[in-house]
Amino acid sequence: MFYIHQITCISPQQTFSDIDLNILNDVADNKLKVIEPSYEGIPLNILRRMGKAVRIGVGSALPLIKQKPDGIIIGTANGGMEDCIKFLNQIIDYNEGMLAPGNFVQSTTNAVAAQIGLMSRNTGYNITHVHRALAFENAMLDAAMMLHENPSANYLLGGLDEISAYNYNIDYLSGAYKKEKISNKDLFTIDSPGSIAGEGSAMFLVNKFSKNAIAEIEALQTLHTDDIDVVKNQLQLFIEKNNASGKPDLLLSGENGDNRLTDYYTEIENEVAKNISVARFKQMSGEYPTASAYAVWLACMILKDQNIPAHAVKKIGETKKYERIFIYNNYKGTQHSFILVSK
Amino acid sequence: MGVISAIGNSVAENHVSLTQQKCGIGKLEQFPSKYAATLPFGEVKISNELLKEKLRAYDADVTRTTLLALHACKEAIDDAHLDPEILSLYDTALIGATTVGGMCLTDELYHDANKDEGGSEYLLSYDCASVNIYLQKYFSINGVINTINTACSSSANSIMYGARLIKQGLAKRAIVGGVDSLAKFTINGFNALHILSDEICTPFDQNRKGLNLGEGAAFLVLEKEEDCATKKIYAELTGYCNSNDAFHPSSLSDNGDGPYLAMKGALDIAKLSPSDISFINAHGTGTENNDLTESQAMIRLFDTPPAFASTKSNIGHTLGAAGAIEAVYSILGIANGEVYPNLHFKEPIEGKNLVPVLSYTKTAIQHVMSNSFGFGGNCSSLIFSKS
Repeated sequence: MFYIHQITCISPQQTFSDIDLNILNDVADNKLKVIEPSYEGIPLNILRRMGKAVRIGVGSALPLIKQKPDGIIIGTANGGMEDCIKFLNQIIDYNEGMLAPGNFVQSTTNAVAAQIGLMSRNTGYNITHVHRALAFENAMLDAAMMLHENPSANYLLGGLDEISAYNYNIDYLSGAYKKEKISNKDLFTIDSPGSIAGEGSAMFLVNKFSKNAIAEIEALQTLHTDDIDVVKNQLQLFIEKNNASGKPDLLLSGENGDNRLTDYYTEIENEVAKNISVARFKQMSGEYPTASAYAVWLACMILKDQNIPAHAVKKIGETKKYERIFIYNNYKGTQHSFILVSK
Repeated sequence: MGVISAIGNSVAENHVSLTQQKCGIGKLEQFPSKYAATLPFGEVKISNELLKEKLRAYDADVTRTTLLALHACKEAIDDAHLDPEILSLYDTALIGATTVGGMCLTDELYHDANKDEGGSEYLLSYDCASVNIYLQKYFSINGVINTINTACSSSANSIMYGARLIKQGLAKRAIVGGVDSLAKFTINGFNALHILSDEICTPFDQNRKGLNLGEGAAFLVLEKEEDCATKKIYAELTGYCNSNDAFHPSSLSDNGDGPYLAMKGALDIAKLSPSDISFINAHGTGTENNDLTESQAMIRLFDTPPAFASTKSNIGHTLGAAGAIEAVYSILGIANGEVYPNLHFKEPIEGKNLVPVLSYTKTAIQHVMSNSFGFGGNCSSLIFSKS
């Protein structure tokens, strides 16, 4: 599909500057919140007006837009949720009185892509995919299509979402998060429904040139179903279709500690990972709709460093050489994605 | 094709209203808002209860945005004779667009976002994706499913994405469109930006006072020419382009760079020159900024622009639905050889002197360009051609 040449990630872990994946930062109140950098490239007057989603999106994009990409392709389920509900609260609290538009403009889900375009004066293709947990996957598919249409181009591809007090509340009420307070170190040992909340922004500079690339996105498939058998059948077809250059040597699993999803992950593991290594990432990122962007970033790091942080290892397979990583992510048992990332 | 708007609940009704120069903008009746009495809106005059009954969509968590989308999507699917078997194939794609999604439930969202317990039935219905996730389930569609939000140009981009999926063999047919319903959220947002008119909007008029918000939905079924030899074909999508104005979060540059690049790019993809365009379905919101900038960009590209008009004067600005609804209107113009006039226009913009089409005209239309420009500088243009 395409090659990844540069990557950045702002997450709850040490992933942006001075990267160290062996350290696992703790969760607080079941929320894994991002470590924000100092955002040196963003003028203070602009930074002050940005909500967190826009800050982490623009902050992680800045190092990559120096390459002057031909377009900006972003996936985010909710964009600036904090600003959105702040504006909503004003509507209700002031009974539709005269309101300041700042939060409204920052709250639109396309604000991140727009702000990146604005700050880099980029008049190219600019789009925001918002299809919940397949927002980043659709952004990847879009990037693949754009590169098919314009083989010499470079695109900025990214996925991000934020935790706001409000979307945490809505998701908590719907049963998405654990009722008991837990440590992220115990995410996979506590047998209860729900996960822990997360947030982050991962950005990629992508093109069609294999030379000096960090990784290749080889294949991608998305599914809407709650039927495990459908997922298994589609997985078999996906593997068959993509086994020409060998089988994956690592499964990067989207397990999130929610015991209602264990069956899906077990079945997938049995299907693809009989003899290969299995690693997990949501103890690092927490659960959020575009966590698969974090997974792709981590896959790039594993391919680059040939090392899986100890806290991420679920099982070590026959080989410790990682050349093809299969990512399976499942959001609330309804949206699934298969992503094949290789060296 | 399927459409629901302030001037009709079907393609046929919308068509009759367009030819009769009907304006559907008026009083807000479906929900209470402080601005119901002072601002005009392009509201769909059917209650949620009636929509639910008509569509047999009784799920507790279904929102007005989803109901409007379902109404238009169903009409499009029936019109294209897509049976359940075809819908469920892995090469049938559904690409929708919305900016407000389930946030039309402003009060419910307020409570669920701020309350510790006892959530409403709408907890999973607030995001933009909720609309298409509902449609996906309702029709059991199994191909690529996506939702796009590029503000007011959203559904122009969903049409473009669907077309590109087909072109690259990632789908054999794509159901593409967009929806938005009126909401306190958008009413107050646009009001805070001081771009809502307290009178019925007058696109491209020197004394225009702003836009009127509207609601509605439209869906279109796209297929490759070779796959629909025996089917009814309305028109061909020949050009499309998405560009960014990269100027300001909520207004367009004086020179109209984004609009110019979008229109120019669409012509390039269609391999057409400016003189080939018979008619421009303008974005024409009726705001000071948009109409001035769009005029400037049209003059830059066309020198003397072809016939143009904005149907925002019929139905208001339907945000995430606008690109798709106006695609249907553009296609109706091509299929019937008609031009629908720009209503409420009196005096051209000083210095631009562009006069939109002012009366309903019967004339052969070969290529229509349809513009959608949004916040965040997100500009898109589509070109539909007589097939």
